[in-house]
Amino acid sequence: MLTLLARLLRALNSESGAWALAIAFVLGMIMGFTPLWRVHNLVILLVALLFRVNLSGFILSFVICSAFAFLLDPLFHSVGFAVLSAEGWQPVGQAMYDSAFWRVVQFHHTITLGSLIISLAFAPVLAVISYWLVSQYRRRIQAWFNRLRIVQALKANRFWAIYSNLRG
Amino acid sequence: MEQHTVRKSAFRWPGLFAFVVIIALIAAFSWLLLDTILKWSLERTLGTMNGAEVNIEKVEHQWMPLTIDITGVQMTDPRQPNFNRVAVEKINGALNWEQLLLGRFHFEEVVSTGIRVQTPRESAGDVYQLPSKEQVGGWLGEGMETINLSMPSVDEVMGRVDLQTPTAIAEAKASYTEQKARIEAVLSKLPTKEQLESYQTQLQEITEGDVETPAQLKAKQEAFAQLKEKFSADREALKEFKEVAGDAVAELKTQMQRVKQAPQHDLDRVGELMQLNSDGLTEITTVLFGEQARQWADYMLLAYEQLAPMLKRSADETAVQPPRGEGIWFAFTNSDAPPDFLIKKARTEFAIGPTVLDVNWENITHQHEQLGQPTTFRARGENNDLWSSLQLNGEMALTAAGFDARQQWRVQGVNLARTALSERSELAATILSALLDSEGNIALRDSEFDGNATLRLADMVVEASAENQWAAVIAQALESLQRLDINADIKGALMDPDFSLSSDLDKQLGEALKGAAMSAADGELSELKQRLTSQSDGFVGEYQSELTELSSLLTDAENREARLQEMLETKLQDKLEDKLKDKLKGILGNN
Repeated sequence: MLTLLARLLRALNSESGAWALAIAFVLGMIMGFTPLWRVHNLVILLVALLFRVNLSGFILSFVICSAFAFLLDPLFHSVGFAVLSAEGWQPVGQAMYDSAFWRVVQFHHTITLGSLIISLAFAPVLAVISYWLVSQYRRRIQAWFNRLRIVQALKANRFWAIYSNLRG
Repeated sequence: MEQHTVRKSAFRWPGLFAFVVIIALIAAFSWLLLDTILKWSLERTLGTMNGAEVNIEKVEHQWMPLTIDITGVQMTDPRQPNFNRVAVEKINGALNWEQLLLGRFHFEEVVSTGIRVQTPRESAGDVYQLPSKEQVGGWLGEGMETINLSMPSVDEVMGRVDLQTPTAIAEAKASYTEQKARIEAVLSKLPTKEQLESYQTQLQEITEGDVETPAQLKAKQEAFAQLKEKFSADREALKEFKEVAGDAVAELKTQMQRVKQAPQHDLDRVGELMQLNSDGLTEITTVLFGEQARQWADYMLLAYEQLAPMLKRSADETAVQPPRGEGIWFAFTNSDAPPDFLIKKARTEFAIGPTVLDVNWENITHQHEQLGQPTTFRARGENNDLWSSLQLNGEMALTAAGFDARQQWRVQGVNLARTALSERSELAATILSALLDSEGNIALRDSEFDGNATLRLADMVVEASAENQWAAVIAQALESLQRLDINADIKGALMDPDFSLSSDLDKQLGEALKGAAMSAADGELSELKQRLTSQSDGFVGEYQSELTELSSLLTDAENREARLQEMLETKLQDKLEDKLKDKLKGILGNN
């Protein structure tokens, strides 16, 4: 975990694009919120690995969001239930249910569909917030942060050693 | 100096390689551990449907054709966690690939062998869904403990019996006093013998004297009229007396009869109570044959008791929860869409002792309305070690209202050998040999049973032993049984059927127990009989003379009334007129 945090800090302090980090957070969030063993998560994993998405941010976001997902399951369920039981959804649901592909993606499961809908709805918000936070960190906080006594003290401990090693 | 910035490619190609590696690892992991994953999944799903732990020894799969072999399935009985509800040695089924890709589990044919019910487990299984109290106990009423196997004592019975002899004597005495007072009240109004004699004399004087003039005739007529008025008044008094005395005599005779009969009635009552002391005797058929009948019923109702609850739970999406949270799997199925789960044909081999019974099934599913057909099952067995013939047919369907099913069976010549009925030390009974015939039918409507069956036991040889004299009577009666017809009624809810067994065994045992109790208490009962008879005879002796006296009074009153009636009916007018005419003829004739 320390390694992961250190890698993230390194990414924050590096020249990596702020959007790359923001998208990593978003992808990790979707994968964390939705049940793990679903086909759409394979697609997300493929995107995260194939494109230059920051993997540390992706993994950290996935771990944190997985923990939150258990708390949010009732919300996901009620959203999924509302959509799946909506009158207008029935023809779509019927067509999807008769298709092997859609059966495999398991969107007829309330938590799967509910968590995916909420994740996708929250994705642009998280992307913008993440981008803004990363930008603000680099512009304003990074220099001020490094001047803090506590940070200087921390630099003397193991975490800093790991971080430094990573920097090479 | 010109600075060149090298823009990195958006793609990270090594990432694709990593993705392929991850997918390959997952596939390999699943491939290698598929059997274990299937085993865990089946144990979990079947366990949820069963309501208790399910253990599977081994699961093996084959890709072409897609088949699954399951070995050593043990399904814990939630009512008795130390026993398996069902144990299956081997199950083999072939899955349809096309339907599987559409998320449907369609088995073309499933063969399961070595099915046994109520087998002991090595260790108690976990119970996930506790059965209700009614399901745990009372399947066939209470057990042997409901029957009091102790010899009743006369003292205990005397404490409970309300002896009628003293009561009858007291009531008869009170009634006599009351009737005597009523008689005495009307007795004083009766004409005395002297009065009757006087009436007779006066009547003679009126009728026998000479009548010479019409004035004399008129005077006699007036005297006779006055006398008749007295007769009428006295006759009314006599009638009243007769009525009161008649009632009194009848009442006292009734009371006397009751007093005479009371001792025997009391002795009969004591006998009844001594017989009734064996509380719960009416349940003896259920107690003795209930457990055995339950085991037989486990086979007869296997389709309902085992398969129906599982199908019902499988139809209930909320019962099988996904691993995470409480999500629900929606099913967007048309009414004519193929069911999600279907076993088109199944052959199940039930191991019953040394014999195997084949049951053939068709269309096992929980979505009968979609399939448009019920699940059917048929069993046939001829001439084997256990029975000479067995036929069982049935069908079941899960509808929106619940389970609808029907089943008929007929089994003949079942050889029962060493079948334990009761293994308690107080009373142990075992059928050493017997032939059982049974037939019945049962229907299940909206998950409610309604059916009946007959169990005919013939050529019975029963071995029974008992600890005490009282239970020994039951044991002796059981040993004397050669044939017994038991009627079974089955009613109640699917998971909590109520079986009631009845036969004339309780009556037979009741007579035997009564005889034994009376015989054992012979001395005390003789003493009681003597005491009651003495009380009764004393009263009868004392009051018989009183009754005789009342009867004689009544007879006397009747005699007096007869005399009065006779006097009252005297034709005075004609007699006197004839005399006057004769007199006048004589006077006129002489002139």
